[in-house]
Amino acid sequence: MKRLILACLLLICGGAFAQQDSEVGTNALIVVGEPAGTPLSGAALEELTEEVAGRMRCPVCQGLSVADSPSDAAVAMKAEVRALLAAGYTPAQTVRYFETSYGEFIRLAPKAEGFNLVVWIAPVAMLLIGAAMIAWRLRGPRTAAVAEAPGPASVDEDPDLAVYRERVRQELAAAPPAQGTDA
Amino acid sequence: MLVLAVGALLTIPVIVFLAIGLRHDPHQIDSPLIGKPAPPFALADLEGNVVRLEDLRGTPVLLNFWATYCVPCVAEHKTFMTGERVLGERLRLLGVIYHDETSLIRRFLGQRGEWGRTLVDPGSQVAIAYGVYGVPETYLIDAEGIVIDKITWPLATPEHLFAWLGQHGLAR
Amino acid sequence: MISYLGQGLVLLALVVCAVGAPVGFVAGARRSPEGLRLARGLALAFAALMVLANLAMEWALLTHDFSVKYVALVGSTATPTHITIVSLWSSLEGSILFWGLVLGLYTAGVAILQRRGHEDYLAYTLGTILSVGVFFTYLIAGPADPFGLLDPAPADGPGPNPLLQNHALMIVHPPMLYLGYVGMTVPFAMAVAALLRGQLGPTWLRPLRNWLLVPTAFLTMGVMLGGWWSYEVLGWGGYWAWDPVENASFLPWLTAIAAVHSAIVLQRRGTLKAWTVILVMITFLLTILGTFLTRSGVVNSVHSFTQSPIGPVFLAFLGVTMIAVVVLLAMRVDTLTTEPARETLVAREGAFLLNNLLFVAFMLTVLVGTLFPIAAEAVRGTKVSVGEPWFNRMSVPISFGLLLLIGIGPALPWGRSDGAALRRALLWPLPAALAGLGLTWLLGGRAGPVLLTGALAGYALWVTVDHGLRPTRTRMKKGEGPAQAFGTSFRRAPRLIGGYLTHFGVIVTFVAIAVSSSFQTSGEGVLSLGSGSLAVGGYELTLDDVGVVEEPHRTVRQAEVAVARGGRALGTLAPSLNHYDTQREPIGTPAVRTSLTHDLYLTLMNVRGDGTVGLRAIVTPAVLWIWIGVFIMTAGTGLCLLSPRPARVPAVSRAAALDGAEAAS
Repeated sequence: MKRLILACLLLICGGAFAQQDSEVGTNALIVVGEPAGTPLSGAALEELTEEVAGRMRCPVCQGLSVADSPSDAAVAMKAEVRALLAAGYTPAQTVRYFETSYGEFIRLAPKAEGFNLVVWIAPVAMLLIGAAMIAWRLRGPRTAAVAEAPGPASVDEDPDLAVYRERVRQELAAAPPAQGTDA
Repeated sequence: MLVLAVGALLTIPVIVFLAIGLRHDPHQIDSPLIGKPAPPFALADLEGNVVRLEDLRGTPVLLNFWATYCVPCVAEHKTFMTGERVLGERLRLLGVIYHDETSLIRRFLGQRGEWGRTLVDPGSQVAIAYGVYGVPETYLIDAEGIVIDKITWPLATPEHLFAWLGQHGLAR
Repeated sequence: MISYLGQGLVLLALVVCAVGAPVGFVAGARRSPEGLRLARGLALAFAALMVLANLAMEWALLTHDFSVKYVALVGSTATPTHITIVSLWSSLEGSILFWGLVLGLYTAGVAILQRRGHEDYLAYTLGTILSVGVFFTYLIAGPADPFGLLDPAPADGPGPNPLLQNHALMIVHPPMLYLGYVGMTVPFAMAVAALLRGQLGPTWLRPLRNWLLVPTAFLTMGVMLGGWWSYEVLGWGGYWAWDPVENASFLPWLTAIAAVHSAIVLQRRGTLKAWTVILVMITFLLTILGTFLTRSGVVNSVHSFTQSPIGPVFLAFLGVTMIAVVVLLAMRVDTLTTEPARETLVAREGAFLLNNLLFVAFMLTVLVGTLFPIAAEAVRGTKVSVGEPWFNRMSVPISFGLLLLIGIGPALPWGRSDGAALRRALLWPLPAALAGLGLTWLLGGRAGPVLLTGALAGYALWVTVDHGLRPTRTRMKKGEGPAQAFGTSFRRAPRLIGGYLTHFGVIVTFVAIAVSSSFQTSGEGVLSLGSGSLAVGGYELTLDDVGVVEEPHRTVRQAEVAVARGGRALGTLAPSLNHYDTQREPIGTPAVRTSLTHDLYLTLMNVRGDGTVGLRAIVTPAVLWIWIGVFIMTAGTGLCLLSPRPARVPAVSRAAALDGAEAAS
């Protein structure tokens, strides 16, 4: 029964179409093996095509994904993605197929392995290190001028007063901390 | 001083790193297929006869992707005409049409002559399998079917072609 | 003729800068008024020379003088006049010349407007700016010389890049961006001056903050216009692709905003001085780094040019400047640490610290992503891409953190307070968060990020409006009418109103971005005259007409697409494919129908000989609000430049009065 349907499809779509199918079959089979997922069709296929095409870089454009690019190359690649997904290949297999011919370059987000882990971990690490540095500084020893009121430091500007300011600061440092304030 | 140390620690690697980066060309991508078996294909030429890559095992194959709207490809055409004449059976020349209309290709070849076999690639599937970015791109496949080189610039003269083939021990 | 004139002007400018820089520094060190007068004069001379040089280039462009190298590069007799004017900044050499013009204008602005007091600071500032001027005039005179003489002169030229001819935004985006980018030199120079002088007090902090706000406002607009241009011109339906050139403009914006916030704290509480100074300096360094990245061909970018000789020169300048900054900071570290560390993790100072942390982390994230391909190639020998999926994944959490802070930060009081007061302050806007969440749910949002955006935005909106209108409400309680209350509040504290208006703009932009990226729908189809229709997002699209228009510099294949919604005809849109004589592939111009709620975006994929067209349609909600939101941000930033009344008070006591008024508001 299946063979009859396939024969009808071949008749309807013509030899070229069958050739197309078998090409996806042989080369994809060689490169990524058997389809590991379930064949898709209709709206689900379109949605997944957009998503998977969005993971890959259009090779002839600057930084656009295959999903977004209107160029001929991207349109062809998107059709290939659709064909692979329709045949039941998983998104991971599909991306790997393109990666085999185009190289790692084609992935818009680097594979999280080996040296590439740096790019995935570094931002989080920097954020945590920064937070730790700030927390450490806040916990650190307070300087002597504890009860200094907030406000304009216009006294800074006048070099003559600097001498007196320094004297005040030293005296405050020497005095015991004021009661009732949390230092 | 701490500031000086931290500053130096941050500044010097950054500058060195960027200097290294200057020496690389981000537009130059190496093909991952080199050293691997060439992706198989079965494509029809302009008369409808099918050419299979595996049938050509035993002879080196030069696979050139081109189109009529690509000016350097037009220049390459003469190179391949000469190359075919000189090399004869020692090298199989195959041209694959990339995103172009068959009628335009027929007119072009009718005016200038045809070299090797000109293959039609529906849906650009073979181009995708080979990782073609644009035209012209030329692949060199040895007699065992392994991709031994890929170039992404035009072979503007026959001398360029012979020099390239000579690099891989395939000409003369 | 113009070649020689232009080259002469630039060389003279180089000499002026080379002389003016040391003059400025010496005048600052010696606190000499004559030295300052000389430095000012030289600064104005530099500005005048840059203006003249740019006018000379414009003259050459408009008269199609192809003996001038740059005109031969980007000029063409077929190009329309308004595009010819704009082609001054369309290519590398011209854009560096334009950089010189903007730098000159800023230099003149500083020299003229900073009259009262601060002589020694000003001298140092001018010295620093002119040092930067030395680099750029050297670039214009040497490696990036647009005035070179071509003999024999070609008869015609290729015209500017076709992508730059498609839209009016190209006229506004680069100048706006440069006014922001180049303008960062001024606060940098002022920070350097403060370090050299050994002090950063409130009287110099005010000009520094103002001269930081101006380029920040321009940069905000410039970045947004870049996104808008990309959306309207490039035809892919998006507005931000995390391309290196976009990142190059975004990085200094992030640190500039952090610097602005640190300056606020510095002014009100006297802390975060080191943060302010260092962030201002990093902002300038990032502008140089960004220009290096996009002009040197180091990374793959929409804007990038192939390896050009100015790459190494920029890198050298970046290196020298970084070393100079490090040395200066090391020498003057005590200038930055006179204040005791009184930041607490709770209360508003802590929120500002967290704000700085997030902005710097954001900047470092974008920087790592942009530079990683270089590292990967150096280490592994293979090329990798770091694109939208990675950047979006990394930036979304940080952005949520910032949205949270916009709500929590202003809600927290200054200084320490007891737990009950804090809890009250933080919980009081919570109903607004729930309202935001509910509204998002009602409008169809179901995904986690969208709902989170709704909740955080609701919270932040409440806090922003509440605090922004608090002085007004207080005055109204005392019996003033609403308009008068607002007017007085605004006059007394324009920066408060400006700040909250900016935050309001940020919230609008944030929500608009979240909505536009989550609820986008698209579809593709083939249409022919009289048959075929594409249904996307409630619209029905049919093909009315296909035509070809011949223009002197391009062939335009245009399709007239009839747009209908629910059976009602809404007019036509005309996306097109432009075939330029100088380019192989056609460049598509999308047709966009904008409304307050959503955009309908059409692009032509191809036009076949038999009159069928491949059409792609995207319906994106809330796009207009992104531009509006950023516009509000810029307006708010501009308001922050206003000084509170009263005016007309002598310099020294004015500073004290202003700071007193600040502390009271």
